[in-house]
Amino acid sequence: MKREELLEKYIQNRLTSEEELKFANLLKSDISFKEEVALHTNLKKVVEKEDDTNFRNLVENIESREKKPRQKTSYIKWLAAASIVLLLGLSYFFNMEQKLSTDTLFAQNFEPYRNVIAPIVRSTEQQDEKAIAFMAYEKGEYQNAIVLFTKLYTETKESYYLFYKANALLKLERANEAVPLLEQHLKTKDTLTEKTNWYLALAYLKLEDKQQARKLLNKVIADGLYKNKEAKKLLKEFE
Amino acid sequence: MKKEHIQTLIASNPKNISHIYNENRAAFFGFGKKYGLDYDDLSDIYQEAFIALRKHALTGKLDSVKSSLKTYLFGIGKFMIYDLLKEKKKTTEYEPIVHVAHDAIETISFEETHEELTIEQRLLRTHFKKLGKKCKEVLTLFYSRGLTIDEIVEFSDYTSSSVVRSQKSRCIKTLKEMIKS
Repeated sequence: MKREELLEKYIQNRLTSEEELKFANLLKSDISFKEEVALHTNLKKVVEKEDDTNFRNLVENIESREKKPRQKTSYIKWLAAASIVLLLGLSYFFNMEQKLSTDTLFAQNFEPYRNVIAPIVRSTEQQDEKAIAFMAYEKGEYQNAIVLFTKLYTETKESYYLFYKANALLKLERANEAVPLLEQHLKTKDTLTEKTNWYLALAYLKLEDKQQARKLLNKVIADGLYKNKEAKKLLKEFE
Repeated sequence: MKKEHIQTLIASNPKNISHIYNENRAAFFGFGKKYGLDYDDLSDIYQEAFIALRKHALTGKLDSVKSSLKTYLFGIGKFMIYDLLKEKKKTTEYEPIVHVAHDAIETISFEETHEELTIEQRLLRTHFKKLGKKCKEVLTLFYSRGLTIDEIVEFSDYTSSSVVRSQKSRCIKTLKEMIKS
């Protein structure tokens, strides 16, 4: 059997025990074969990873298409949301006393949004910087992440950088800087936009602007999607 | 499990995948609700379970599975639901939720392998991304989908195994050149 075929079978776990023996001998005696095996083993890992990532993107796309129809909030839901707004508005005037400080509520509810971008990278040159930026973000090196996100946003104008930079800023308790970025991000329509109101609400909470926070939380609830349960709970807590 | 289901998962054609995905989605959300999970959680879990299902198809695990695709998919989902509930129990002090859901779905464990690529592999990945469509396709079929050379001939436009082999080695040669430069 040719070396090439032996290698093929090895990569796909199809060697018979007899061939395995041949393979092992060749591996010991022939350095160039050993190198070849190493390359193919690496290539298998890489191609699998790439294929996985693409499949994951496909599934995420299908899911986000399915999720959309729920955004058409029904009449009753709107009524319910409107009445909550009214009630909360009223209770705001009657109950000025703070149960929990806005700071505490922020800390209890905020968590930087997970990285869903880095594996989607396609272009090669930016790939490294982008990957590094998101790696920094995932590792909690927010200062570094911010610098890189700023740079990448200037270069690419990809709106998700606004979202992630704002998340990093919030984590570093720089809510006043996060607010304009989130507002800018709201105007874009990427896959993360439905999540932005929640973070904007938390940013305002951090800035002790309860009125804005309340308005945004009600939007989150009315959308009925991301974090709507948490938003209801949070609203109750700070009233 | 039906052979054509396994083949569809391996072939990963967007249209067919979308069909299987949506066919079971509503039922899964109904199933998952009994465990007290909300829409976002279930949406995440269903995606992960589906990705895991396909992974099992690629590794050949499904070949010996007797149950239907739906039961198996729900089994993985149930395993992930339990995992999430355990996690929630740890992190929230309030609202101890009592879960009493009875169903006949057997959980199917799924271990996620978060193997990070080595530096060498990461570099190789950037080279791979630069390859042309044909190269990416043939390498994906062989290395990730696990199709033999003969199977590639069967499922693609290649006319013979020698054509596949020479295409594949051309692609690898290109990669080697990229590594050297």
